[in-house]
Amino acid sequence: MASSNLPRRIIKETQRLLSEPAPGISASPSEDNMRYFNVMILGPTQSPYEGGVFKLELFLPEEYPMAAPKVRFLTKIYHPNIDKLGRICLDILKDKWSPALQIRTVLLSIQALLSAPNPDDPLSENIAKHWKTNEAEAVETAKEWTRLYASGA
Amino acid sequence: MDDIHPSSDSIKVESKINYYSDGFDDNEDPFFLTDDDLVGGDDGAADALLEDIREDEIDLLKQKQQDCKILNATELRQRMEHDVAQVSAVLSVSKTEASILLRNYNWSVGKVNDAWFTDESAVREKVGLFVKPVISSDIVSNKRKIIFCGICFESHTSDRIIYADCGHLYCEICWSIYISTSINNDGAGCLMLRCPEPSCHAAIGQDMIDSLTSEEDRKKYSDFLLRSYVEDNRTTKWCPGPACEYAIEFSGADGIFDVTCHCFTSFCWNCKEECHRPMDCDTVKRWILKNSSESENVNYILAYCKPCPNCKRPIEKNHGCMHMTCRVCRYEFCWLCLGPWKGHMNCNRYMERTDTDDKRKKLAKESLEKYTHYFERWDANRKSKVKALADHQRVKDEEFKKLSVSQDIPEAHFEFISKAWLQVVECRRALEWSYSYGYYLPDNEPAKKQFFEYLQGEAESTLEKLHNCVESELKEFLDVDGLSKKFSEFRTKLVGLTTVTGNYFEKLVRALENGLSDVNSHGTKGLEDEAEDSWHCDRCTYANPSSIRSCKMCVPSDIDNVSGNE
Repeated sequence: MASSNLPRRIIKETQRLLSEPAPGISASPSEDNMRYFNVMILGPTQSPYEGGVFKLELFLPEEYPMAAPKVRFLTKIYHPNIDKLGRICLDILKDKWSPALQIRTVLLSIQALLSAPNPDDPLSENIAKHWKTNEAEAVETAKEWTRLYASGA
Repeated sequence: MDDIHPSSDSIKVESKINYYSDGFDDNEDPFFLTDDDLVGGDDGAADALLEDIREDEIDLLKQKQQDCKILNATELRQRMEHDVAQVSAVLSVSKTEASILLRNYNWSVGKVNDAWFTDESAVREKVGLFVKPVISSDIVSNKRKIIFCGICFESHTSDRIIYADCGHLYCEICWSIYISTSINNDGAGCLMLRCPEPSCHAAIGQDMIDSLTSEEDRKKYSDFLLRSYVEDNRTTKWCPGPACEYAIEFSGADGIFDVTCHCFTSFCWNCKEECHRPMDCDTVKRWILKNSSESENVNYILAYCKPCPNCKRPIEKNHGCMHMTCRVCRYEFCWLCLGPWKGHMNCNRYMERTDTDDKRKKLAKESLEKYTHYFERWDANRKSKVKALADHQRVKDEEFKKLSVSQDIPEAHFEFISKAWLQVVECRRALEWSYSYGYYLPDNEPAKKQFFEYLQGEAESTLEKLHNCVESELKEFLDVDGLSKKFSEFRTKLVGLTTVTGNYFEKLVRALENGLSDVNSHGTKGLEDEAEDSWHCDRCTYANPSSIRSCKMCVPSDIDNVSGNE
């Protein structure tokens, strides 16, 4: 059906994501579109996002794996590299994409980005400024947002 | 144009001869003109002097022929292959590797050699050339081994597996899609293609491109390579003429960049705008940008595009964060301050200006009025120049025949009319840019401004005389039957005007190019001279010291020297 003209690679990746999920990450394809994934990432321990459950959407474009997947946070998050529309500033999603990368590696990188925000490469100017001028306060805001928007309700 | 441009290499200087110094080419022809007719016998030295100038110009011509070469695609490819072969031989690397090296060092053989012999391993690291694979496998010896491809997730026998110098293994189908995607999506970025392994930066060279892609993609890649050879090379540039495929190699260094292509496009090699003496390139750029600032297009580029700080190609930002990576040269920089991303800190601090709003508004209004004044005149001369060029062509094509019949003179003898027209074109061009020059002349130097306006005014009226003579007075002879005595007078007048106007404009252009640096010294020296003993030139009224016989202002300077020696 829907999967009949899906490249073997996508089918294999999907199977592996379901059978051996990476710790703290789940990704399952939508029923009506095998290229669209509902993703959940658990906030990494010892980060301001700990305890949060973050929903993302991931789409594999026609050119995948020659072109990068498109990923976006659906849950509101206070992070210098993620803007209010949920778009993510991550090099492997742009010019550093390589067809040898996978959905799994992309999601692991996003998880790592939650552990290590990079205010020097900001997508959200205000949050990055906040992070640089008063990190403790910014981290508090991030924790607050995690409680408010990502408490898994 | 053909007759005055027999060889493209020499166009610039030849035209200089035509426009500025020489109305005398057909002196051998006694039918029309004697030296006395021309200079009115008032300066016997002028002859010898003009010969001097001509020799100077011819020297310049020879020098210019070496300065600039016009190259077609075949010649460019030959040069590229020659450079690649040279690097390949000197560094004992393959031609593919030599090509990768040159591409990374702006196609400069010298730079590649320097860098390579300074630190070969650093160069290899930088451009992605490997001495031996980082991954070793036995697929060469074992053709039946099963290999897993990390892109399509399929298993293949090892004869279907390809690897670059780094040794990372992928199947040939994925390789060819990978390369083809890059050629069709990344533009010139495909020339910098690297191994798909995320941590690997091994360069993908032309040998792999050629063996793995379609004919069509190979052609595209080869075109990108040629473009890179011309655009990244400091000594070559494409001719900006519409649909022109020639590139021009230029090695002159005397600050004059005017070149003319085989397609007859004349342009400044330095900035690729039309020839714009006496203006410098930066000011021309500002002027042109200013003129088109109304256009939506320019607004868009200003609003959304910035030049890459490294390779200067315009970059449009359409997504996300301020960390930019140029697709072509891979330079990483901050979108806001255009500083390098490496070591980038904050660039948020506002550098305050002192102007108040009111003052700025008033200045804006004044500057608009000033701009309109100069722009109108710039534009009028520009249009007049284009018209004169068309008129010249028409006169040559149609009126020479009529004239030949009515005056019973062979067409070949009308070269002086052609020269006058081309002089008009050249002067209109200089006048056009002199208005842009005037616009940028600083307001706080009134002496300079006054002097400039005086010179420009004189230039304008001189040119009007010439333009009128060649345009209106010529018409009188078209319909008159039989040999007209007046025609000989007309010829004398026109040749004289052409020479005088040419000399004056050359002086003007040179003076403006020097930033009117004489103004201050003239101010004091002029007074001294006048206090001593001086004479006023009949033509331009300039007060010359009595020690010289030809006007310093409207006769080429070489003449002064010789007069002084007499």
